[in-house]
Amino acid sequence: MIQMLGKRLIEFFLFIFLLSLISFAGIKLAPGDAVRLLLRVDDVAVTNEQVEIQREIMGLNEPVIVQYGEWLSKFIRLDLGASYMTHRPVVEEIWTRMPATLLLTFTSIVVLVGVAVPLGACSALYPKKWIDRVSRVLAIMGASIPSFWLGLLLIEGFSVRWSIFPAMGNGTLMHLVLPSLTLGLTMAAVYVRLIRSSLLNSLSQDFILGARSRGIGRQRIFWLHACRHSLTPVVTMFGVSVGNLLGGSVVVETIFAYPGLGKFIVEAIHNRDYPMIQGYILFMGAVIMLLHVMTDVTVGYVNPEIRLKEGGH
Amino acid sequence: MVCMLLTVVLLAACSGPQEGSTQATQQPKKELTFLFNFASQTVDPGLDYTPLRAGVVETLVKLDENVKIQPWLATQWSSKDGQNWEFQIRDGVTFQNGKKLTAETVKQSLERSIELNPGVKQVLRIKSMKASGQTLHVVTEEPFPQFPSELVHPNTAILDTEAADPDKKPIGTGPFQVESFTAGTSLKLTRYDAYWSGAAKLDRAVFAFNEDANARLSAILSGDADIVYRPPVESMDKMKQDNQLKLDSVVSLRTHELIFSTKRPLFQNANLRKAFDALVNREELKDAIMGGQATVAQGPFLPDFPFVPEYPTRKTGAEEALKWFKEAGFQVDNGKVTQNGKPLTLKLVTYASRAEFPIFSQALQSEAKQLGITLQIEQVENYEDYLMNDTTWDLGMYSPLIAPRGDASYFLNVSFLPDGTLNYGKINDESLNKLIYQLDQTVDTAKRNELISQALTRIHEQTYYSYLVHPNTLVVYKDRVKNWVTSKSEYYMLTNQLDVEAK
Repeated sequence: MIQMLGKRLIEFFLFIFLLSLISFAGIKLAPGDAVRLLLRVDDVAVTNEQVEIQREIMGLNEPVIVQYGEWLSKFIRLDLGASYMTHRPVVEEIWTRMPATLLLTFTSIVVLVGVAVPLGACSALYPKKWIDRVSRVLAIMGASIPSFWLGLLLIEGFSVRWSIFPAMGNGTLMHLVLPSLTLGLTMAAVYVRLIRSSLLNSLSQDFILGARSRGIGRQRIFWLHACRHSLTPVVTMFGVSVGNLLGGSVVVETIFAYPGLGKFIVEAIHNRDYPMIQGYILFMGAVIMLLHVMTDVTVGYVNPEIRLKEGGH
Repeated sequence: MVCMLLTVVLLAACSGPQEGSTQATQQPKKELTFLFNFASQTVDPGLDYTPLRAGVVETLVKLDENVKIQPWLATQWSSKDGQNWEFQIRDGVTFQNGKKLTAETVKQSLERSIELNPGVKQVLRIKSMKASGQTLHVVTEEPFPQFPSELVHPNTAILDTEAADPDKKPIGTGPFQVESFTAGTSLKLTRYDAYWSGAAKLDRAVFAFNEDANARLSAILSGDADIVYRPPVESMDKMKQDNQLKLDSVVSLRTHELIFSTKRPLFQNANLRKAFDALVNREELKDAIMGGQATVAQGPFLPDFPFVPEYPTRKTGAEEALKWFKEAGFQVDNGKVTQNGKPLTLKLVTYASRAEFPIFSQALQSEAKQLGITLQIEQVENYEDYLMNDTTWDLGMYSPLIAPRGDASYFLNVSFLPDGTLNYGKINDESLNKLIYQLDQTVDTAKRNELISQALTRIHEQTYYSYLVHPNTLVVYKDRVKNWVTSKSEYYMLTNQLDVEAK
């Protein structure tokens, strides 16, 4: 156990190091920097010479490898620097936006599970029946509608026409309803089809036929054996979806003026806020890595076959 | 589906009252939600404009509706040489924590902004400051005649530097104090009862942000907002038909322009620049592309500035353009332009964040095609860096702020001097440079206006840019909102005069 944990930790630090190196080079090699924005050339009379001086002050004219070395030495001391835009520490910026992002992730997953599981399961249980046809149409519609359009449609219906939910902002749970529905419904479309096909695949397995021949009840076979077996691809994809949600959803956050991470990071990229972008990439790298491990463990738990196979290696 | 509905019902049941609407029915307070089109990630006045726009902080001087500077926290100022300045700080003003505004607090605030923001350091160019009572003595690094107008800059706004959390809860002297700030979403405000110019008529206000134009429109239609800045122009008819909404359209201090790259030998020829200037269909841009929300430009500045010269009327259209192409040394046969027997191919660059530019580029491309000229349009990311460093483009679209603080020297310095940060076309005109250097040293207003007028005449003669339109700022608000004024400068939004009728 300790050996496995040690191996995972080494993998983790190696991954973070490589990610930081590649992302740093990527950011720095892209054209443009934050200096013109910092000097507010849009409305302040500065010269190109003064722009260059500011670049020198900020160390942006140094070779990329030197800049990376400086960044790495600070990172080792757990200092990710401060955002150029707000002058607040990067860690604080991510930390203050995380609760809103986590909350939206959770509620979106509730919507996703609430829609996808019943529809997908019913489609598999009653293939080619009306419920299957309805769920197929809904899935195609959900997958075809862009999230920004669905968001605007929901605002038009629930806010403008019926005044049930607020159109934007945050602060109350009511503010979460429309963004969660937008994200949850868009993702659910894919999951309905995935759950259906995975369940149908499980139901045609030999061990299900064996269970049936032993006279085990249909409900028991479905819920206890087929469902569990079909969870592998669903859980794997779920890990990816949670990672995407935790990274923030730019479109939904913009439309609903929701204070999550996504919109802020896009603004940081637009403004070439290097410390913020680099901090975010590392944070998300760590989150994705963690989710990857959690997905592996969950898959192993729900599908002992995989656990045994891995054990065999 | 059942789970989803249960979740929705649960959320609805768990949630508190919806802000703004329900509270107003419990207690008849005057509240208003203002929805702006850019999101702020900080409300530190030294870094962001929102605290000034929201009436939390104030500057020493302000711009009036005629874009002239007026006293605000400073009541008067004077300088004999344009370098040594004396400002009288308004007496009887207190910060929102009750602390008195003095020359010393102003000095501390300006020093903080200079240290925090390199842009403020450049805009003010202060060498030293001395405070005594309500008098602030300022020495600038060099003679700087337009110094008072630079104090209009929102990042020079005065705050109490000793108060905690200036990035979340700045303490200023304005009519509204910060209740809470959620980065990227909203700034909640309450009235400051002891405001020096009379307490605000509103009890509370929310300065909210939403960068999506359609979502902003939905917010005012659903009752989530009372005033919306820059609603979608394409929904003008819908807004006009709603008798609960009022529209306000005011010409802004920006000018859309077509830049000619004089780095390219072709565009060092003034007659070629004049040919393209004649080809531009400004009326089409204003009416067909911008829905009438603009004013056709003759020069960079709006005609009501005192230094704008009487420009001679210029003919436009294909015929006039052909005349200039001929003057420029190109061959014109059967209405088609060639150079040494070959058709002309040029690169026109534009960017996406001003939606009208890509469309207008296509319109210009079509006009040029009629004359046998190919304009290859390229939409570019990191536009300003590209314009500054790339040498392959010929023409470009841009929209600078022409007089952000009412004075012309900013625009002339950055757009025409060889080292100017917005001189993308690499213009270097000796006689124009001389006029600008002279302007930068001149204190007397009449002499300054004369110099600016001469510079503008030279720019017009040489057609260094083709000035297209001055875009309007469109604001939609509920008819219950009273005393809303759309400011040309876009600096002043929530004021102590702003009011609403009870719902």
